Amino acid sequence: MLVLGPVAIGLLLGIDRKITARMQGRVGPPIVQPFYDLVKLLAKSPMVMNNGQIVFAFSCLVLQVAALALLVFRGDLLIVFFLSGAGSVALVLGAFSARSPYSYFGSQRELLQILAYEPVLLLVILLIGFDNETFTVRNLDTSLLPSLGLALLALMIVLVIKLQKSPYDIATAHQEIVSGPYVEYSGPFLGVTKLAHWFELAVVLGIFTLFYWNPNAIVSIAGKLAIVAVAMFVTQLIDNSTSRLTRERMLTFTLVFGTLLVAINFALVYLMKQGVM
Amino acid sequence: MVLADRSRVKSPWILHFDTGSCNGCDIETWALLTPIYDLERFGVVNEANPKHADLLLVTGPVTKKVEDRLRNLYSQMPEPRIVIAVGNCACTGAPFDDCYNVLGGIDRVIPVDVYIPGCAARPEAIIDGLVLGLKKWRERKFSPHVDIQPGREVVTEEASK
Repeated sequence: MLVLGPVAIGLLLGIDRKITARMQGRVGPPIVQPFYDLVKLLAKSPMVMNNGQIVFAFSCLVLQVAALALLVFRGDLLIVFFLSGAGSVALVLGAFSARSPYSYFGSQRELLQILAYEPVLLLVILLIGFDNETFTVRNLDTSLLPSLGLALLALMIVLVIKLQKSPYDIATAHQEIVSGPYVEYSGPFLGVTKLAHWFELAVVLGIFTLFYWNPNAIVSIAGKLAIVAVAMFVTQLIDNSTSRLTRERMLTFTLVFGTLLVAINFALVYLMKQGVM
Repeated sequence: MVLADRSRVKSPWILHFDTGSCNGCDIETWALLTPIYDLERFGVVNEANPKHADLLLVTGPVTKKVEDRLRNLYSQMPEPRIVIAVGNCACTGAPFDDCYNVLGGIDRVIPVDVYIPGCAARPEAIIDGLVLGLKKWRERKFSPHVDIQPGREVVTEEASK
Protein backbone atom coordinates (compact mmCIF):
# COMPACT_ATOMS: atom_id res chain seq x y z
CA MET A 1 0.00 0.00 0.00
CA LEU A 2 2.89 2.35 0.73
CA VAL A 3 4.03 2.07 -2.92
CA LEU A 4 0.53 1.67 -4.28
CA GLY A 5 -0.61 4.94 -2.66
CA PRO A 6 1.60 7.34 -4.66
CA VAL A 7 1.15 5.24 -7.83
CA ALA A 8 -2.60 5.60 -7.45
CA ILE A 9 -2.17 9.35 -6.84
CA GLY A 10 -0.07 9.64 -10.02
CA LEU A 11 -2.80 7.92 -12.02
CA LEU A 12 -5.49 10.06 -10.38
CA LEU A 13 -3.58 13.22 -11.30
CA GLY A 14 -3.23 11.91 -14.86
CA ILE A 15 -6.96 11.25 -15.09
CA ASP A 16 -7.50 14.67 -13.54
CA ARG A 17 -5.48 16.36 -16.32
CA LYS A 18 -7.30 14.32 -18.96
CA ILE A 19 -10.75 15.22 -17.63
CA THR A 20 -9.77 18.88 -17.25
CA ALA A 21 -8.59 18.88 -20.89
CA ARG A 22 -11.84 17.29 -22.03
CA MET A 23 -13.85 19.87 -20.09
CA GLN A 24 -11.93 22.56 -21.99
CA GLY A 25 -12.50 20.86 -25.35
CA ARG A 26 -8.93 19.54 -25.69
CA VAL A 27 -7.57 16.02 -26.13
CA GLY A 28 -5.26 16.18 -23.13
CA PRO A 29 -2.10 14.29 -22.16
CA PRO A 30 -1.96 10.52 -21.63
CA ILE A 31 -3.06 9.25 -18.23
CA VAL A 32 0.49 8.23 -17.26
CA GLN A 33 1.76 11.77 -17.94
CA PRO A 34 2.56 12.55 -14.25
CA PHE A 35 4.94 9.55 -14.21
CA TYR A 36 6.73 10.80 -17.34
CA ASP A 37 7.07 14.20 -15.69
CA LEU A 38 8.38 12.71 -12.45
CA VAL A 39 10.95 10.41 -14.11
CA LYS A 40 12.11 13.20 -16.38
CA LEU A 41 12.61 15.54 -13.42
CA LEU A 42 14.51 12.91 -11.43
CA ALA A 43 16.77 12.25 -14.46
CA LYS A 44 17.69 15.90 -15.03
CA SER A 45 21.03 17.28 -13.94
CA PRO A 46 20.95 18.72 -10.41
CA MET A 47 21.16 22.47 -9.93
CA VAL A 48 21.61 23.49 -6.33
CA MET A 49 20.73 26.85 -4.80
CA ASN A 50 22.01 25.94 -1.34
CA ASN A 51 22.35 22.80 0.77
CA GLY A 52 19.50 23.75 3.10
CA GLN A 53 17.04 23.60 0.23
CA ILE A 54 17.98 19.99 -0.52
CA VAL A 55 17.82 18.98 3.13
CA PHE A 56 14.33 20.47 3.43
CA ALA A 57 13.16 18.87 0.18
CA PHE A 58 14.23 15.42 1.34
CA SER A 59 12.94 15.93 4.90
CA CYS A 60 9.59 16.93 3.37
CA LEU A 61 9.56 13.64 1.44
CA VAL A 62 10.60 11.57 4.46
CA LEU A 63 7.94 13.14 6.69
CA GLN A 64 5.18 12.60 4.12
CA VAL A 65 6.28 8.99 3.57
CA ALA A 66 6.26 8.46 7.34
CA ALA A 67 2.76 9.95 7.57
CA LEU A 68 1.44 7.67 4.82
CA ALA A 69 3.22 4.65 6.34
CA LEU A 70 1.55 5.28 9.67
CA LEU A 71 -1.84 5.59 7.98
CA VAL A 72 -1.29 2.44 5.89
CA PHE A 73 -0.16 0.42 8.90
CA ARG A 74 -3.28 1.65 10.68
CA GLY A 75 -1.62 3.80 13.29
CA ASP A 76 -2.67 6.93 15.12
CA LEU A 77 -4.53 9.52 13.00
CA LEU A 78 -3.30 12.45 15.09
CA ILE A 79 0.37 11.50 14.54
CA VAL A 80 -0.38 11.12 10.81
CA PHE A 81 -1.76 14.65 10.82
CA PHE A 82 1.24 16.11 12.68
CA LEU A 83 3.81 14.33 10.46
CA SER A 84 2.08 15.47 7.27
CA GLY A 85 1.81 19.03 8.62
CA ALA A 86 5.52 19.03 9.49
CA GLY A 87 6.23 17.89 5.92
CA SER A 88 4.28 20.84 4.49
CA VAL A 89 6.22 23.22 6.73
CA ALA A 90 9.53 21.64 5.62
CA LEU A 91 8.66 22.49 1.99
CA VAL A 92 7.96 26.10 3.00
CA LEU A 93 11.27 26.34 4.90
CA GLY A 94 13.10 25.00 1.83
CA ALA A 95 11.45 27.66 -0.31
CA PHE A 96 12.37 30.36 2.25
CA SER A 97 16.03 29.30 2.10
CA ALA A 98 16.41 30.69 -1.45
CA ARG A 99 16.79 34.44 -1.89
CA SER A 100 14.09 34.88 -4.49
CA PRO A 101 11.06 37.16 -4.29
CA TYR A 102 8.78 34.66 -6.03
CA SER A 103 9.89 31.93 -3.67
CA TYR A 104 9.26 34.22 -0.70
CA PHE A 105 5.81 35.21 -1.93
CA GLY A 106 5.00 31.58 -2.61
CA SER A 107 6.08 30.40 0.81
CA GLN A 108 4.17 33.15 2.60
CA ARG A 109 1.07 32.12 0.68
CA GLU A 110 1.73 28.44 1.34
CA LEU A 111 1.92 29.27 5.06
CA LEU A 112 -1.44 31.05 4.76
CA GLN A 113 -2.89 27.96 3.06
CA ILE A 114 -1.56 25.76 5.86
CA LEU A 115 -3.18 28.20 8.30
CA ALA A 116 -6.44 27.82 6.38
CA TYR A 117 -6.73 24.05 5.99
CA GLU A 118 -4.78 22.68 8.94
CA PRO A 119 -7.31 23.73 11.67
CA VAL A 120 -10.20 22.25 9.64
CA LEU A 121 -8.29 19.00 9.10
CA LEU A 122 -7.35 18.81 12.78
CA LEU A 123 -10.96 19.44 13.84
CA VAL A 124 -12.21 16.72 11.49
CA ILE A 125 -9.69 14.25 12.94
CA LEU A 126 -10.63 15.25 16.48
CA LEU A 127 -14.29 14.69 15.56
CA ILE A 128 -13.46 11.24 14.16
CA GLY A 129 -11.73 10.54 17.46
CA PHE A 130 -14.71 11.82 19.49
CA ASP A 131 -17.21 9.82 17.44
CA ASN A 132 -15.33 6.52 17.65
CA GLU A 133 -13.56 7.11 20.98
CA THR A 134 -10.26 6.20 19.33
CA PHE A 135 -7.70 7.82 17.04
CA THR A 136 -6.17 4.51 15.98
CA VAL A 137 -7.15 3.52 12.46
CA ARG A 138 -6.97 -0.16 13.40
CA ASN A 139 -9.98 0.24 15.70
CA LEU A 140 -12.05 2.25 13.19
CA ASP A 141 -14.09 -0.65 11.89
CA THR A 142 -17.20 1.32 11.01
CA SER A 143 -18.34 3.58 8.19
CA LEU A 144 -17.84 7.18 9.23
CA LEU A 145 -20.10 8.47 6.46
CA PRO A 146 -23.51 8.15 8.21
CA SER A 147 -22.46 10.11 11.28
CA LEU A 148 -19.77 12.38 9.80
CA GLY A 149 -21.20 13.49 6.43
CA LEU A 150 -20.70 17.20 7.15
CA ALA A 151 -17.10 16.55 8.22
CA LEU A 152 -16.56 14.96 4.79
CA LEU A 153 -17.80 18.21 3.22
CA ALA A 154 -15.30 20.12 5.34
CA LEU A 155 -12.58 17.74 4.15
CA MET A 156 -13.49 18.63 0.54
CA ILE A 157 -12.30 22.20 1.21
CA VAL A 158 -9.01 20.78 2.52
CA LEU A 159 -8.69 18.60 -0.59
CA VAL A 160 -9.23 21.54 -2.97
CA ILE A 161 -6.42 23.47 -1.27
CA LYS A 162 -4.08 20.47 -1.08
CA LEU A 163 -4.62 19.66 -4.76
CA GLN A 164 -3.63 23.26 -5.64
CA LYS A 165 -6.92 23.78 -7.43
CA SER A 166 -8.93 26.91 -8.19
CA PRO A 167 -10.26 28.88 -6.36
CA TYR A 168 -7.59 28.15 -3.75
CA ASP A 169 -4.44 27.63 -5.85
CA ILE A 170 -3.06 30.67 -4.12
CA ALA A 171 0.49 29.51 -3.37
CA THR A 172 1.22 28.06 -6.82
CA ALA A 173 -0.75 30.71 -8.72
CA HIS A 174 0.89 30.16 -12.08
CA GLN A 175 -0.09 33.41 -13.83
CA GLU A 176 0.85 35.48 -10.78
CA ILE A 177 3.89 34.08 -9.02
CA VAL A 178 5.02 31.33 -11.45
CA SER A 179 4.86 28.31 -9.13
CA GLY A 180 5.24 29.68 -5.64
CA PRO A 181 7.25 27.56 -3.21
CA TYR A 182 8.43 25.28 -6.05
CA VAL A 183 9.93 28.12 -8.09
CA GLU A 184 13.54 27.72 -6.93
CA TYR A 185 13.56 23.92 -6.97
CA SER A 186 14.81 22.40 -10.19
CA GLY A 187 15.53 19.01 -11.73
CA PRO A 188 15.66 16.06 -9.31
CA PHE A 189 14.87 18.21 -6.27
CA LEU A 190 11.69 19.45 -7.91
CA GLY A 191 10.97 15.76 -8.55
CA VAL A 192 11.48 15.02 -4.85
CA THR A 193 9.08 17.78 -3.80
CA LYS A 194 6.53 16.56 -6.37
CA LEU A 195 6.82 13.03 -5.00
CA ALA A 196 6.39 14.41 -1.49
CA HIS A 197 3.23 16.16 -2.70
CA TRP A 198 1.92 12.84 -4.04
CA PHE A 199 2.46 11.25 -0.64
CA GLU A 200 0.74 14.22 1.00
CA LEU A 201 -2.27 13.78 -1.29
CA ALA A 202 -2.23 10.05 -0.55
CA VAL A 203 -2.52 10.88 3.16
CA VAL A 204 -5.50 13.21 2.61
CA LEU A 205 -7.28 10.81 0.27
CA GLY A 206 -6.41 8.03 2.74
CA ILE A 207 -8.43 9.90 5.35
CA PHE A 208 -11.27 10.09 2.77
CA THR A 209 -11.19 6.30 2.43
CA LEU A 210 -11.83 5.93 6.18
CA PHE A 211 -15.36 7.20 5.62
CA TYR A 212 -16.57 3.91 4.20
CA TRP A 213 -16.10 0.44 5.61
CA ASN A 214 -17.82 -2.88 5.06
CA PRO A 215 -17.17 -6.37 6.50
CA ASN A 216 -16.92 -7.64 2.92
CA ALA A 217 -13.42 -6.64 1.69
CA ILE A 218 -14.42 -6.18 -1.98
CA VAL A 219 -17.45 -4.01 -1.16
CA SER A 220 -15.29 -2.07 1.27
CA ILE A 221 -12.60 -1.30 -1.32
CA ALA A 222 -15.19 -0.45 -3.98
CA GLY A 223 -16.88 1.99 -1.58
CA LYS A 224 -13.56 3.60 -0.64
CA LEU A 225 -12.63 4.01 -4.32
CA ALA A 226 -16.05 5.50 -5.06
CA ILE A 227 -15.59 8.12 -2.34
CA VAL A 228 -12.15 9.08 -3.71
CA ALA A 229 -13.46 9.21 -7.29
CA VAL A 230 -16.41 11.42 -6.34
CA ALA A 231 -14.16 13.71 -4.30
CA MET A 232 -11.69 14.08 -7.17
CA PHE A 233 -14.45 14.74 -9.69
CA VAL A 234 -16.03 17.41 -7.49
CA THR A 235 -12.68 19.19 -7.13
CA GLN A 236 -12.31 19.12 -10.93
CA LEU A 237 -15.75 20.66 -11.36
CA ILE A 238 -14.89 23.34 -8.80
CA ASP A 239 -11.49 23.92 -10.46
CA ASN A 240 -12.93 24.39 -13.93
CA SER A 241 -15.87 26.58 -12.93
CA THR A 242 -14.18 29.05 -10.58
CA SER A 243 -11.37 31.56 -10.76
CA ARG A 244 -8.79 32.25 -8.08
CA LEU A 245 -9.93 34.07 -4.96
CA THR A 246 -7.85 36.30 -2.72
CA ARG A 247 -5.92 35.05 0.30
CA GLU A 248 -8.25 36.79 2.73
CA ARG A 249 -11.36 35.19 1.23
CA MET A 250 -9.72 31.76 1.35
CA LEU A 251 -8.85 32.23 5.01
CA THR A 252 -12.27 33.54 6.07
CA PHE A 253 -14.21 31.00 4.01
CA THR A 254 -12.27 27.92 5.11
CA LEU A 255 -12.03 28.90 8.75
CA VAL A 256 -15.66 30.06 9.10
CA PHE A 257 -17.41 27.58 6.81
CA GLY A 258 -15.12 24.63 7.57
CA THR A 259 -15.25 24.99 11.33
CA LEU A 260 -19.00 25.66 11.17
CA LEU A 261 -19.56 22.38 9.31
CA VAL A 262 -17.43 20.48 11.82
CA ALA A 263 -19.20 22.23 14.73
CA ILE A 264 -22.67 21.28 13.45
CA ASN A 265 -21.48 17.74 12.87
CA PHE A 266 -20.03 17.67 16.39
CA ALA A 267 -23.37 18.80 17.83
CA LEU A 268 -25.20 16.06 15.89
CA VAL A 269 -22.74 13.37 17.02
CA TYR A 270 -23.02 14.62 20.62
CA LEU A 271 -26.81 14.50 20.51
CA MET A 272 -26.70 11.01 19.01
CA LYS A 273 -24.35 9.88 21.75
CA GLN A 274 -26.74 11.28 24.37
CA GLY A 275 -29.54 9.30 22.77
CA VAL A 276 -31.56 12.39 21.83
CA MET A 277 -31.60 11.52 18.13
CA MET B 1 18.09 5.07 -18.70
CA VAL B 2 15.71 3.99 -21.46
CA LEU B 3 12.86 5.02 -19.18
CA ALA B 4 14.47 8.39 -18.51
CA ASP B 5 14.96 9.05 -22.24
CA ARG B 6 11.41 8.07 -23.01
CA SER B 7 10.02 10.24 -20.22
CA ARG B 8 12.13 13.17 -21.40
CA VAL B 9 10.67 12.97 -24.90
CA LYS B 10 7.17 12.59 -23.46
CA SER B 11 7.31 15.56 -21.13
CA PRO B 12 8.97 18.63 -22.62
CA TRP B 13 8.24 21.71 -20.55
CA ILE B 14 8.50 25.00 -22.39
CA LEU B 15 9.96 28.32 -21.41
CA HIS B 16 8.88 30.94 -23.93
CA PHE B 17 11.00 34.06 -24.14
CA ASP B 18 10.47 37.13 -26.31
CA THR B 19 13.80 38.77 -27.13
CA GLY B 20 12.28 41.69 -29.02
CA SER B 21 9.71 40.13 -31.29
CA CYS B 22 6.88 42.04 -32.94
CA ASN B 23 4.57 39.58 -31.06
CA GLY B 24 3.55 37.87 -34.30
CA CYS B 25 5.44 34.68 -33.44
CA ASP B 26 4.34 34.97 -29.80
CA ILE B 27 0.69 34.86 -30.81
CA GLU B 28 1.39 31.77 -32.93
CA THR B 29 3.25 30.18 -30.01
CA TRP B 30 0.37 30.81 -27.62
CA ALA B 31 -2.00 29.34 -30.19
CA LEU B 32 -0.28 26.00 -29.55
CA LEU B 33 -1.92 25.76 -26.15
CA THR B 34 -5.45 26.37 -27.45
CA PRO B 35 -7.91 23.51 -28.09
CA ILE B 36 -7.17 23.60 -31.85
CA TYR B 37 -3.50 22.61 -31.56
CA ASP B 38 -3.53 21.40 -27.91
CA LEU B 39 0.16 20.69 -27.38
CA GLU B 40 -0.58 19.34 -23.90
CA ARG B 41 -1.52 16.05 -25.55
CA PHE B 42 2.25 15.59 -26.09
CA GLY B 43 2.90 16.43 -22.45
CA VAL B 44 3.99 19.97 -23.23
CA VAL B 45 3.46 22.42 -20.40
CA ASN B 46 4.19 26.13 -20.54
CA GLU B 47 6.21 26.49 -17.35
CA ALA B 48 7.29 30.16 -17.45
CA ASN B 49 10.21 29.23 -15.19
CA PRO B 50 13.72 28.47 -16.51
CA LYS B 51 14.47 26.16 -13.60
CA HIS B 52 11.59 23.84 -14.50
CA ALA B 53 11.85 24.07 -18.29
CA ASP B 54 13.45 21.72 -20.82
CA LEU B 55 12.81 23.68 -24.00
CA LEU B 56 13.68 27.31 -24.53
CA LEU B 57 11.42 28.74 -27.22
CA VAL B 58 12.77 32.10 -28.32
CA THR B 59 10.98 34.57 -30.59
CA GLY B 60 12.38 37.75 -32.06
CA PRO B 61 15.83 39.17 -32.83
CA VAL B 62 18.16 39.62 -29.85
CA THR B 63 18.34 43.25 -28.87
CA LYS B 64 21.36 44.50 -26.96
CA LYS B 65 19.26 45.12 -23.85
CA VAL B 66 17.93 41.57 -23.73
CA GLU B 67 21.21 39.76 -24.47
CA ASP B 68 22.22 39.29 -20.82
CA ARG B 69 18.74 38.17 -19.85
CA LEU B 70 18.68 35.54 -22.58
CA ARG B 71 22.07 34.24 -21.46
CA ASN B 72 20.90 34.30 -17.84
CA LEU B 73 17.72 32.34 -18.59
CA TYR B 74 19.66 29.80 -20.64
CA SER B 75 22.19 29.22 -17.90
CA GLN B 76 19.43 28.71 -15.32
CA MET B 77 17.93 25.79 -17.25
CA PRO B 78 19.20 22.41 -16.01
CA GLU B 79 20.65 20.00 -18.59
CA PRO B 80 19.57 18.43 -20.88
CA ARG B 81 17.87 21.33 -22.66
CA ILE B 82 16.93 22.33 -26.18
CA VAL B 83 16.84 25.81 -27.68
CA ILE B 84 14.37 26.49 -30.47
CA ALA B 85 14.50 29.70 -32.50
CA VAL B 86 10.97 30.52 -33.68
CA GLY B 87 10.55 32.76 -36.72
CA ASN B 88 12.87 34.46 -39.17
CA CYS B 89 13.99 37.11 -36.69
CA ALA B 90 15.07 34.56 -34.08
CA CYS B 91 16.88 32.52 -36.75
CA THR B 92 18.87 35.27 -38.44
CA GLY B 93 17.71 38.66 -37.24
CA ALA B 94 15.90 39.02 -40.59
CA PRO B 95 15.03 42.66 -41.38
CA PHE B 96 16.50 43.88 -38.10
CA ASP B 97 19.90 42.24 -38.62
CA ASP B 98 21.85 45.46 -39.16
CA CYS B 99 19.89 47.66 -36.76
CA TYR B 100 22.04 49.61 -34.31
CA ASN B 101 20.26 48.06 -31.30
CA VAL B 102 20.05 44.46 -32.51
CA LEU B 103 22.67 41.71 -32.33
CA GLY B 104 20.94 39.43 -34.84
CA GLY B 105 19.77 35.84 -34.48
CA ILE B 106 19.63 33.86 -31.22
CA ASP B 107 22.71 31.86 -32.21
CA ARG B 108 24.89 34.92 -31.70
CA VAL B 109 24.26 34.54 -27.97
CA ILE B 110 23.37 30.92 -27.13
CA PRO B 111 23.65 27.67 -29.11
CA VAL B 112 20.47 26.84 -31.03
CA ASP B 113 19.26 23.30 -31.77
CA VAL B 114 16.32 23.92 -34.07
CA TYR B 115 15.54 26.83 -36.39
CA ILE B 116 11.91 27.40 -37.39
CA PRO B 117 11.61 29.88 -40.28
CA GLY B 118 8.50 31.87 -41.05
CA CYS B 119 7.13 35.36 -40.59
CA ALA B 120 5.28 34.64 -38.46
CA ALA B 121 6.14 30.95 -37.98
CA ARG B 122 2.92 28.99 -38.33
CA PRO B 123 1.78 26.87 -35.36
CA GLU B 124 2.13 23.73 -37.52
CA ALA B 125 5.74 24.69 -38.25
CA ILE B 126 6.41 25.22 -34.56
CA ILE B 127 4.98 21.78 -33.73
CA ASP B 128 7.20 20.37 -36.50
CA GLY B 129 10.25 22.06 -35.01
CA LEU B 130 9.36 20.83 -31.56
CA VAL B 131 9.10 17.26 -32.80
CA LEU B 132 12.46 17.70 -34.56
CA GLY B 133 13.97 18.90 -31.28
CA LEU B 134 12.56 15.88 -29.44
CA LYS B 135 13.98 13.62 -32.16
CA LYS B 136 17.41 15.08 -31.52
CA TRP B 137 16.84 14.32 -27.88
CA ARG B 138 15.99 10.73 -28.68
CA GLU B 139 19.17 10.47 -30.74
CA ARG B 140 21.05 12.08 -27.83
CA LYS B 141 22.26 14.99 -29.93
CA PHE B 142 22.09 17.71 -27.32
CA SER B 143 23.33 21.20 -27.88
CA PRO B 144 27.05 21.31 -27.05
CA HIS B 145 27.48 22.37 -23.46
CA VAL B 146 29.52 25.53 -23.77
CA ASP B 147 30.47 28.00 -21.14
CA ILE B 148 28.90 31.17 -22.48
CA GLN B 149 30.95 34.29 -21.93
CA PRO B 150 29.38 37.68 -22.54
CA GLY B 151 30.27 39.01 -25.96
CA ARG B 152 31.42 35.66 -27.27
CA GLU B 153 29.84 34.43 -30.46
CA VAL B 154 28.52 30.90 -30.47
CA VAL B 155 27.95 29.29 -33.85
CA THR B 156 26.31 25.90 -34.18
CA GLU B 157 26.82 23.59 -37.12
CA GLU B 158 23.09 23.16 -37.74
CA ALA B 159 22.16 25.62 -40.46
CA SER B 160 18.73 27.10 -40.97
CA LYS B 161 16.52 24.79 -42.96
